[in-house]
Amino acid sequence: MLGDIASVIVDGALISAVYALIAIGFTMVFGVGGVLNLAHGALIMAGAYTYLSLVSDSILASVTLHPIVAFPLTIVVVGLISYGLYVVLVRTIEENVVITFLATIVVAIAFTELVTLVFHAQPYQYSVVPGVLQVQALGTRILYVELAAFVVSWVAMGLLWYYVTKTDSGRSIRATSTSERGAMLTGVDVSGVRARTWLVAGGLAGIAGVFLGGIGAAEPTMWLEPLALAFIIVVVGGIGSIKGSVAAAYIVGYLQTATGQFLGQSVRGIMSLVVLVVVLLVLPQGLYGTEFVHE
Amino acid sequence: MSDREQTGRSIGRLVGRVESVLRDSALPQGAGVVGAVGQPAERLLWPVAERYNRTLGERFGEVTGLQLLLLLLSFGGLVTAPLWGQDYLRPLTLGAVWAVFAMGWDIQSGYTGYISFGHSALSGAAGYTTGLLVLHLNPELSLFVTVPLSILATTVLGLAIAVPSLRLRGPYFSLVTFVTVLLFYRLTKALSHWTNGLRGIRVDVFTYDLTLQYYMVVVPMLAVAATLTYVGRSDVGTVLVAIRENEDAVSAAGVDPTKFKLWSFVLSAVPMGIGGVLLAHVNAGVDPQTFVIVDNSIQMIAMAVIGGMSSILGPLGGAFLFVGLRDVFLVGLGEELRWLALWLLVLLVLVFARDGLFRLLWRALGALGGDRR
Amino acid sequence: MTLLSVDGLAKQFGGLVAVDDLSFGVESGEILGLIGPNGSGKTTVFNCIMSIYAVTSGTVRFGGTDITDDKTHQIVNRGLSRVSQESNPIGSMTVRENIELFTFPNSVRSFDGGASDEAIASYAARVDIEDALDDDPGSLPHADVRRLEIAKALATEPDLLLLDEPFAGLNQTEVRQLSEQFESFREQGITMVVVDHNMRGLMDLVDRVVVLHNGQKLAAGDPADIVGDERVQDAYLAGEVSAVQ
Repeated sequence: MLGDIASVIVDGALISAVYALIAIGFTMVFGVGGVLNLAHGALIMAGAYTYLSLVSDSILASVTLHPIVAFPLTIVVVGLISYGLYVVLVRTIEENVVITFLATIVVAIAFTELVTLVFHAQPYQYSVVPGVLQVQALGTRILYVELAAFVVSWVAMGLLWYYVTKTDSGRSIRATSTSERGAMLTGVDVSGVRARTWLVAGGLAGIAGVFLGGIGAAEPTMWLEPLALAFIIVVVGGIGSIKGSVAAAYIVGYLQTATGQFLGQSVRGIMSLVVLVVVLLVLPQGLYGTEFVHE
Repeated sequence: MSDREQTGRSIGRLVGRVESVLRDSALPQGAGVVGAVGQPAERLLWPVAERYNRTLGERFGEVTGLQLLLLLLSFGGLVTAPLWGQDYLRPLTLGAVWAVFAMGWDIQSGYTGYISFGHSALSGAAGYTTGLLVLHLNPELSLFVTVPLSILATTVLGLAIAVPSLRLRGPYFSLVTFVTVLLFYRLTKALSHWTNGLRGIRVDVFTYDLTLQYYMVVVPMLAVAATLTYVGRSDVGTVLVAIRENEDAVSAAGVDPTKFKLWSFVLSAVPMGIGGVLLAHVNAGVDPQTFVIVDNSIQMIAMAVIGGMSSILGPLGGAFLFVGLRDVFLVGLGEELRWLALWLLVLLVLVFARDGLFRLLWRALGALGGDRR
Repeated sequence: MTLLSVDGLAKQFGGLVAVDDLSFGVESGEILGLIGPNGSGKTTVFNCIMSIYAVTSGTVRFGGTDITDDKTHQIVNRGLSRVSQESNPIGSMTVRENIELFTFPNSVRSFDGGASDEAIASYAARVDIEDALDDDPGSLPHADVRRLEIAKALATEPDLLLLDEPFAGLNQTEVRQLSEQFESFREQGITMVVVDHNMRGLMDLVDRVVVLHNGQKLAAGDPADIVGDERVQDAYLAGEVSAVQ
């Protein structure tokens, strides 16, 4: 029992960091342009498969990179995919929210087919950081890859925090999500800010994808669950709020881990859906949502 | 500005230009080429159209001669399909089932702008009600019992989704419907001692006579099309569109948007129930893969988008086009490539012809005959 | 008879007080001016009356009935209609259809229940846009778009019209025409509350003025007295200065 609780505490902390990373990218994109990017899950999948292709000799025989090289390269590739998605597709239709919303889900589902076409439907397992850490004192064990995911996610969030608070480029993202008109008036190139936000969000999704694929497996349906989680976390945390996303990621992450541990894996996902419905009904602004003040 | 951003921007601009060229050229040039045939035809058909406009046009919308011709040809084609399309009865039957779904989605999501990803759960509710009744209650149960109960169950589920979630605007609403599908899917697994999990439940087909089966699907489909077209063109349709365009204005008009949104869900759930029952019997079974998964909702959306959202008949046409491409014309491409081509088509329509292909055709026919509006 | 009475109305956004303990009444048949510098809470008062916002405290009564917790559409159906500052016609519908929407009954079983074409034309004629009925709202000049907003409100057959900055963006002639139309509405039995931040333009039209400042009632009374009121002048001056800073 004690071991169970300890493993919930540890596992929850580890996986929640990755959830937070996913949710932050999702909410940032919404914050600067009002676009709910339903292809965000597809970007996560892109991360897993890009990394897989780069490190494994069974996909592209000529390319086998060391994880240390492949990992940053994956982040860049997914960031660019995300950037391209914005510039080529979303920018041309973003003035119509419904059309954009539909287009991003179609992109996600088309991407699923593309992945199935190239890699086939079977799941690929790959290792990012092999090995298991036994924690005797707590009677639990931690996969190194989970530990790495935790550390890297928090480092990425730290860098992001530095970027949006200390650099001009990052501050303009924050300014735009606070008040688009205000940002425009102070001379911020809003369109450029949006493109940059998609780039950053894509990079974060790439990191999350590498680890989610490493912990589970890379398969063509792996985008659905993280997308639903990102959605739920962002609603619970308050849409557009980075701080709220991190807090909510931990709530949802722990809830999932705990229900999985004590009630069984089949109800794992159901609890977070229940929380979602409760939050929507009781607290539609989320934990850290801003109340909209008119006039 | 960086080079990369500049490149990106010029790509965006190029896309914009292509779009505007397409938009500007489609009608006038088309009119020049086809006009020689179109205008005399329009003159010939106009008296008929005028008579229609004076009688049914009040209720279903006015048409020009060529538009009426399109309607009559489509109707005639559907009714006589077993005579000319014996080899295609299966896809035509499926097309009709999906047309019911696409129209059902349209009257709720297309009209009000509250995009639902949950409609596959609605069709699933109908299919599973029929399946569970047959499996656990009585395999011999009459359609006169299972059909109304399935439609009822769908409506109840529709309201159960709508009542709490319609207080929420736009994306939040979509989220709840999306989650409903995931929940439904998980339940079919979690309750697999009832539902047989992924294997699903076997249901008897209506009949092994494909022609008869085709009519058993097409007749309800036409009834749904006529009813929803009538509703869509009525005050109710106008209010639903106004909710999409400006919900506050609807309140300011003294009309309760919440009531109308709920009503749109009922109007949508009934066809979804009908379609779900039809699909269960046509497919001889119900399982999560063909009914519940979110991909099915997205297919309904795709059909409505291709045909033209908020027009009922557009999604009907879109469904036949989509199923035709999916099950007949693109089959040679192989499983994944075929889907990829379909989704790309949907994307192209979203970007370049967001009003839908059938609405474009409809307008072109109107312009060809010298649109009177 | 007092048609509308607002008692102790307060509205806060988070910690921000937008309207504070405001009370005033509107007599049947009068035209009341609700004025105040920018940001004094005038539009918020309208939004509270129409239940666009839930009030923090206080009550709103219309024709003796408490309407504080009614929904917007119920309030409209009681005979209270608001013309907002922003024009928001539905672009995909013609002017006629935009007006017709405002005549629909609140019933999901009504398939063909809007007003007749003649009735719609008469609403449009009351603000002189009867020639534009078949146009798209997007093609109308600014003044006609504003008139369409008023025609829409008239189509709900109101007893009381709340007009939010009706003269904004109009030229001298248009302002005069519109004032005359408001006079004729009064003769047809419609009571009005007109919000404006500019008191001078309003003085000839209104019977009585309530002045708002920082969400509170600063003064009320005869237009001529209000213009001379020093506190009002100070408030406006302060408002202008803070607006510039």
